[in-house]
Amino acid sequence: MSELQQVDVLVIGSGPAGQKAAVQAAKAGKKVVLVERDQSLGGACVHRGTIPSKTLRENALRVKNMRKNASLCNFQLAEDTEMSTLIDRLNRVLKAHDGFMAKQIERNHILRVHGRARFLSANEIEVVKVRGEAERYLAKSIVIASGSIPRQPDNIPVDHENIFDSDSILTMLYLPRSLTVLGGGVIASEYASIFQALGVKVTMIDRYPLPLGFMDADLTTTFVDSFTEMGGTWLGDKIVTKVEWDGISQVVTHCEDGTVVKSAKLLCAAGRLANVKDLQLENAGLSLNAMGHISVDEMLQTAVPHIYAAGDVIGPPSLASASMEQGRRASCNALGIEVGPMSKMIPSGIYGIPELSAVGLTEGQARKVHGDILIGRARFDEISRGQINGIRDGMLKIICDPQGEKILGVQIVGEGATELIHIGQMAMLSNADVDIFVESIFNFPTLAEAYRVAALAVIGQRAKHSDKY
Amino acid sequence: MEKNVLEAAQNNVTLSEYAQILAEHLETQLKEKNFDMPMLPDVASRVLALSNDPDSDAAQLAKLIQSDQALSGHVMRIANSAAYTPNASMVSLQQAIARLGMSLITEIALAASLNSKMFKAPLFKDRLVEIWDHALASALWGKEVARISKKNVEASFLCGLLHSIGRPVVLQSISEQLEATKQSISPEEARQLEDQFHVAFGAVIVDKWQMPGIVQEAVQYYQDYRQARHHRDQAMVIHAADKLAGDTLACQKQGVCKLDTVLDDDVFAGLNLYQDEIEKLKEQTEKVLAGMEAMRA
Repeated sequence: MSELQQVDVLVIGSGPAGQKAAVQAAKAGKKVVLVERDQSLGGACVHRGTIPSKTLRENALRVKNMRKNASLCNFQLAEDTEMSTLIDRLNRVLKAHDGFMAKQIERNHILRVHGRARFLSANEIEVVKVRGEAERYLAKSIVIASGSIPRQPDNIPVDHENIFDSDSILTMLYLPRSLTVLGGGVIASEYASIFQALGVKVTMIDRYPLPLGFMDADLTTTFVDSFTEMGGTWLGDKIVTKVEWDGISQVVTHCEDGTVVKSAKLLCAAGRLANVKDLQLENAGLSLNAMGHISVDEMLQTAVPHIYAAGDVIGPPSLASASMEQGRRASCNALGIEVGPMSKMIPSGIYGIPELSAVGLTEGQARKVHGDILIGRARFDEISRGQINGIRDGMLKIICDPQGEKILGVQIVGEGATELIHIGQMAMLSNADVDIFVESIFNFPTLAEAYRVAALAVIGQRAKHSDKY
Repeated sequence: MEKNVLEAAQNNVTLSEYAQILAEHLETQLKEKNFDMPMLPDVASRVLALSNDPDSDAAQLAKLIQSDQALSGHVMRIANSAAYTPNASMVSLQQAIARLGMSLITEIALAASLNSKMFKAPLFKDRLVEIWDHALASALWGKEVARISKKNVEASFLCGLLHSIGRPVVLQSISEQLEATKQSISPEEARQLEDQFHVAFGAVIVDKWQMPGIVQEAVQYYQDYRQARHHRDQAMVIHAADKLAGDTLACQKQGVCKLDTVLDDDVFAGLNLYQDEIEKLKEQTEKVLAGMEAMRA
């Protein structure tokens, strides 16, 4: 048996949460071990999810724009365009990322161990390397940041050849003629719209009437309209009972109501589960909650006091941005380093075509809490920049309290939404009234003008200030 | 001349004077790209084009295969083999496609049309068959390695099938020279020349055939996958498949099974396959053997 090595902090997983947890602990002068099962650092976010899909999205957007401007460039995407061509810059992006992260880990004297971690007890971790040899560590504190893996429902036989999950979809050699996307969440919506923009005939199927249920219906309807305008098909309120390869050339999806959808390939994006299969949490005295995640309190502490968890493994919001901060805080909390309260105001970004983004309360949530709220909307095609850019499917919505002063939330659909949202977020964080968007001067022409238009729409509804502007 | 060369040492043998002349000849041919370049069989080229065409359908594939009588017969023989239809007899290609699927029929058609008969190397007839057996096994293993390591499954069959396409071309060239000069070399020497030159010849051929970039890199770098720039994963998959195929054939034909030793190769760790995944891969041996049996029907 290998010698037991003593460390201050052992971090499992090197995705956004794990990386930040390890760096924070190292900066506090602790002896840190970072365990990663993949050869490269970064986790699924870097290698199979966020970064690859966004690289593909950039090219899909270019293709869409070139098609839209066919009279300018006479563009046609070759039928046999390889996927590798469409994510051409990915290798460079990943190499740069890996190099940067490796340097950061090295600079902070973090010991990087390539292998799978499993608990032998609450403090003892065994790391089994790819060739089977094992190392054992005794850690004073442990941060679990092992991320998530795609959920594979029993009735969907993922074979990574015709039926893919979100981790394998980008291994396709060519763009298929048609693609069925199961699910209506972030991953499903992103890939469905990206592939549709590339000219693949996409059918999205989900159990809910609209995708992205955590956003307001007027925005998700805009997304669906845009998707269908590109040629996609949205099938909401459908329960998928069975998926099968027809033995000829198509994947057949059967729905409870008798609907049958055939396509060349299928992507199952039925959510993600905590990646804890190999951890043997029970040896540490931990178990999963009903949602299949590791439960933590606001300190990111699990039921075992010296074990913390961060990132996808603890469930929503499952955003890389939030995971990074959770990872940092988990280490701080474990080491007794004081941190302020974690901002509850985390923007969500959906990198579909078009983009969607939101911060604060949705209209529905605000109505429940504040009653008769005021809403201001601005359509991008009514904004000069939107007209210039030819954006027809954009909208910005500001949700205000019943007095039409305090900003409760901002929701945006349209190109640039994930950047534009930060203006609203900053206004909310500084507790500014909605008037700030009218009284401030933005560059012209920019899409930021939508804030001004939406704010004026709110202000126009104020009974008490109706004559001010 | 002809004897079983499966056992021929891959280690360097001292080349005779004439074998060295042959090596220089191969080098010149390669440098000048002046060798008898095999034509991609028309039917294979059309099957490939069809498989990449999103608008293709089963009827078009059936029509295409039917246009080549020998291929059509071969596909039907395979479709009716015990591996695929133990209790039924298929009478038409359409029925075979409906039963087995377009992907499998495409693979069968490719394996059947790209075969040892494309090459004229009478002095190395048995070796040509061995090479194609190995290519087929590599194609089938390629799919399994790709599947378990979540790499490109679709491309792996073709990459495996073509990864050693340079070998028969090298043998063809040697055979022509030996016949013209009435000279001879040992099987070990022939194997060494094959080992030395096949990758470079293969790279020229798949380039000429305008194969996708992923196939070109797999052929060019499967031995030295670290050099692959854009498709290193695929080159690794084919490296692994090549090793597994070698073991499968040695085990089948000579009873020398060294699967565990093969699985110690760095490439499996490079593909990040942990021990439980290696075990799952081992379990695919029967599937690969059944696939080979069926496709050789």
